[in-house]
Amino acid sequence: MNQIIGTSVSRKDGRAKVTGTATYGAEHQLPDLVHGYLITAKIANGRILNIDTQAIERSPGVMAVFTHENMPRVFTPTNDWANSQIYETRLPLADDRVHYGGQIIGLVVADTLERARDAAHSAAIEYQEEPVLVTAENATYEDSPPWFGEDFQFQEGTFETGDFAVAAADAPTTLEATYNTETELNSPMEPHALVAHWQGNDSVTVYEPTQWVRVSQGTYAELFGLPTERVRVVSPYVGGAFGAKAFPWPHGILCVAAARELQRPLKVVVSRRQMTANTGHRSQTEQTVRLAANTDGQLIALEHTARTCTSPVEVFSEPCTAVTPVMYATPNLRLGQELAVLNVGTPTFMRAPGEAPGMFALESAMDELAWELGLDPVELRLRNETQEHQRRGGVFSTKNFAACLSTGAEQFGWSQRQMQPRSQQQGDRLVGWGMAAATFPGYRGAAMAKVRLLPDETAHVLTSANDMGTGAYTMVAMTAAENLGLPVEQVRVEIGDSIMPDGGLAGGSQMTATLAPAVMNACQAVLETANAENAQQAFASLQESGRAAYEATGSAAPGEEGTEFTFQSWGAHFCEVTVDEDIARLQITRWVSVMDIGRVLNAKTAASQIRGGVIMGIGSALMEECHFDPASGHPVVYDLATYHVPAHADIPRIEVTFVGEPDLNFNPMGVRGAGEIGIMGVAPAVANAVYHATGKRIRSLPIIPDKII
Amino acid sequence: MKNFTYGRASSVEEVIEQANRDRNAMYIAGGTNLVDRMKAFLDEPSQLLDISRLEMQSIERTQDGGLRIDALVTNTDLANNANVRRDYPLLSRAILAGASQQIRNMATVGGNLMQRTRCAYYYDTAFACNKRQPGTGCPAINGINRIHAILGASDRCVAVNPSDMSVALAALDATVEVQGEQGQRDIPFVDFHRLPGDTPERDTNLEPGELITAVVLPPMAFAQSGVYLKLRDRASYAFALVSVAAAVELSGDQISTARIALGGVAHKPWRASEAEAFLQGQTPNQSTFEQAADIALQEAQPLAYNAFKVDLSRRAIRRALAVSSRGGGIA
Repeated sequence: MNQIIGTSVSRKDGRAKVTGTATYGAEHQLPDLVHGYLITAKIANGRILNIDTQAIERSPGVMAVFTHENMPRVFTPTNDWANSQIYETRLPLADDRVHYGGQIIGLVVADTLERARDAAHSAAIEYQEEPVLVTAENATYEDSPPWFGEDFQFQEGTFETGDFAVAAADAPTTLEATYNTETELNSPMEPHALVAHWQGNDSVTVYEPTQWVRVSQGTYAELFGLPTERVRVVSPYVGGAFGAKAFPWPHGILCVAAARELQRPLKVVVSRRQMTANTGHRSQTEQTVRLAANTDGQLIALEHTARTCTSPVEVFSEPCTAVTPVMYATPNLRLGQELAVLNVGTPTFMRAPGEAPGMFALESAMDELAWELGLDPVELRLRNETQEHQRRGGVFSTKNFAACLSTGAEQFGWSQRQMQPRSQQQGDRLVGWGMAAATFPGYRGAAMAKVRLLPDETAHVLTSANDMGTGAYTMVAMTAAENLGLPVEQVRVEIGDSIMPDGGLAGGSQMTATLAPAVMNACQAVLETANAENAQQAFASLQESGRAAYEATGSAAPGEEGTEFTFQSWGAHFCEVTVDEDIARLQITRWVSVMDIGRVLNAKTAASQIRGGVIMGIGSALMEECHFDPASGHPVVYDLATYHVPAHADIPRIEVTFVGEPDLNFNPMGVRGAGEIGIMGVAPAVANAVYHATGKRIRSLPIIPDKII
Repeated sequence: MKNFTYGRASSVEEVIEQANRDRNAMYIAGGTNLVDRMKAFLDEPSQLLDISRLEMQSIERTQDGGLRIDALVTNTDLANNANVRRDYPLLSRAILAGASQQIRNMATVGGNLMQRTRCAYYYDTAFACNKRQPGTGCPAINGINRIHAILGASDRCVAVNPSDMSVALAALDATVEVQGEQGQRDIPFVDFHRLPGDTPERDTNLEPGELITAVVLPPMAFAQSGVYLKLRDRASYAFALVSVAAAVELSGDQISTARIALGGVAHKPWRASEAEAFLQGQTPNQSTFEQAADIALQEAQPLAYNAFKVDLSRRAIRRALAVSSRGGGIA
């Protein structure tokens, strides 16, 4: 081993990205390319009576228009998570129904983007409107079905162990509070977009950003009745996804279908405004937490119920209570999830789905309990640690949560905290310190990678996995370099293409734990093939033999370890806020995050992932919210001017430290993911600091000036 | 977006003549708002008359000691101008509180005055809008109106003017020089923008074809104590929920003159004239500032989601007056 793992390596794709040579989905240039523009509904519930397609077809440059009346036939995918999955079960242009504002109701294809756009905008459409429901307070909630689809039963809704009611009735201290979070938009920098290029009717290449190349390929194959190998998905770069680019959305299916009809390469870019309704979001949530504890802070009973919303055409139940059985030992635990249907677009996975808003409720409530008991919130958390997952069983394989808390507290200077709210000041500003815990499951899937050793003394790693800005290129290169005994510079990585071995899913923070072991195995296999101990020996033998290359494919998959262990990452955030109370101005001034994510593969990009998560968490804490016009149902927040994400000026220096140990029960590299844990606990850390600063407990996100004043 | 022609203007007179020949022509300089509006189908000009290369890029002292700022001076150049920074610091700060560096590099003084509301209902053609299509209605009045007007609105429109720079210019008693077919005229800044009334489609009192050529600042010694305080949803790159441009002139222990203009609260930069009149001759203290703030907001009519703006405006006025009375600086 030449000790590359664990060092800081700058991202291999960085230069290509900052110089504009990285080719994203919509940037693939093809001869004879034509442009599609989506027609979207101006009502939020009802029927389309008529679309004047003849007028659209007469518009300059228009080659075709697709509506529910001429939508090409596509097959219903099996949606089994193994071969295919789509985000919205209703297929595009399935019928004349409009279920939510901005829903895709047609596609115009023209010779230029501008002409397609103009024709789509000018389309004359008659509707029959029906009453709209977009206000959660007026919705009807019912017990929630599983999270998303019948084959995705990671966390069922309702759960009870012990007897919450009896235990809570006798407890010396009880606390009940309701927390709200608003609708959030994934808002990746790269909009959703694709180019579909058919070769005849029986083979298609789709250039589209995707978090899961293999399932994207399988899904398009099923939709169009093709053998899998007749579909090629190319996704070398993904400009952010945060959960919303794992599977085809309606616009993708529509684009590929239209391209087949036209037998021309077709590009569809979803405008930022159209993304609000058609490419997912995180549902608003209303959560109630009831805690019962002994006077020493030991939890006796905990109830966490969550209400979230979905669209009329898909079940997606933001799983807020998933995190609760992981965090604190509670003999009497009750969890409930309810779901309502609104006339809004289909919600979906967004960085730490369920877990992030769930953690806001849980970690706010724990802070409230600490104040109630007069206990240090760090100490309260230490007293309630659990060593096993209280819902699905299994002891935690490794857990360094206490070290996260103690290291973070020390770095931050937590012991200097004046206990009372409103007791710390800087000039005329109140200063507050807050903390919250972080945790996220360690997920892992199956993956394959191919390694080639070439006479020019480079190693070439190929896998269908993708890099959505997380550092996967660099992670793969470092893993190969380590296992081949080569400098990182001599490893070339090509990813994001379905003609390469299945590299698995970049979702649920699992790409590194999934792919790195496969790359490691492929490296060992290629050295065995070369009968060499390291790459240098293999290169020498290539020279001697005149052979062109050594090549081997390696794979890795989880085994039975999950029946014994639960794999979970841990962390703690500490932050300082200043509040100029008189003018409701809040600034976050310090941030310390300490994380246990198993072995850290690339210290630089791992810390960057945590920082990105913290920044996104600060967004949800302070500014991110989407709203819908109550009368028409249309979103009134629909672009990066109306949907605020943090600017540089909102973000302090973020100190990130890792305290984990290799989780070798989980995978032979001992790594867990870094993608989502960074956002976990950020919003409650901020809210808890605001309480400490002002004495005001803000239980609804985001914490905007209206709520501070 | 409809097809349009594009041409570069060679002189002020010629471009005005071109604009008067075609009522669907529009002037363009930095284009930082107009191009966005065209992409959103809000404006569909027949031709764009590019005035950006006309010789209107300088800032000069006027004979009476004020400043004459040509309409094509970029926001960046105006904010960084040494005379502006020294004599009218609130103008510099107001500009720097808005947009981003890249946008300020492109945006011009004249264009800043002409930017239109960022009301989400106006900006999305899925909604009716009296400003976009007169007579179709205003869904913002009963909709999500958190960022909308609390002063001077009508039952036709509750949109707010988004400019930061204009709030400072209103406080500084600037004059807008405009030129049209009939020649040149001066418009006092407070009369440049309009309240919505029955014609919310008209943002300003410019006549068709008129071109802004300059903004003139009168000399104002106490402007050096001027303050611009902007309160918003994030620390940078967001429009004001509420902003205040204020300057206080002291004479001994008394306030001799005060200027207060508010942004983010009305269809135009809102001069609080009654509050200014009240402050004259008062002792600068917290109680005085509170009374002034109360007077400034006494006509406020909040909507369902923006009542907080009334209180926030009062607080911002108090703070800005207090800081200015101590000599100015960052509020």
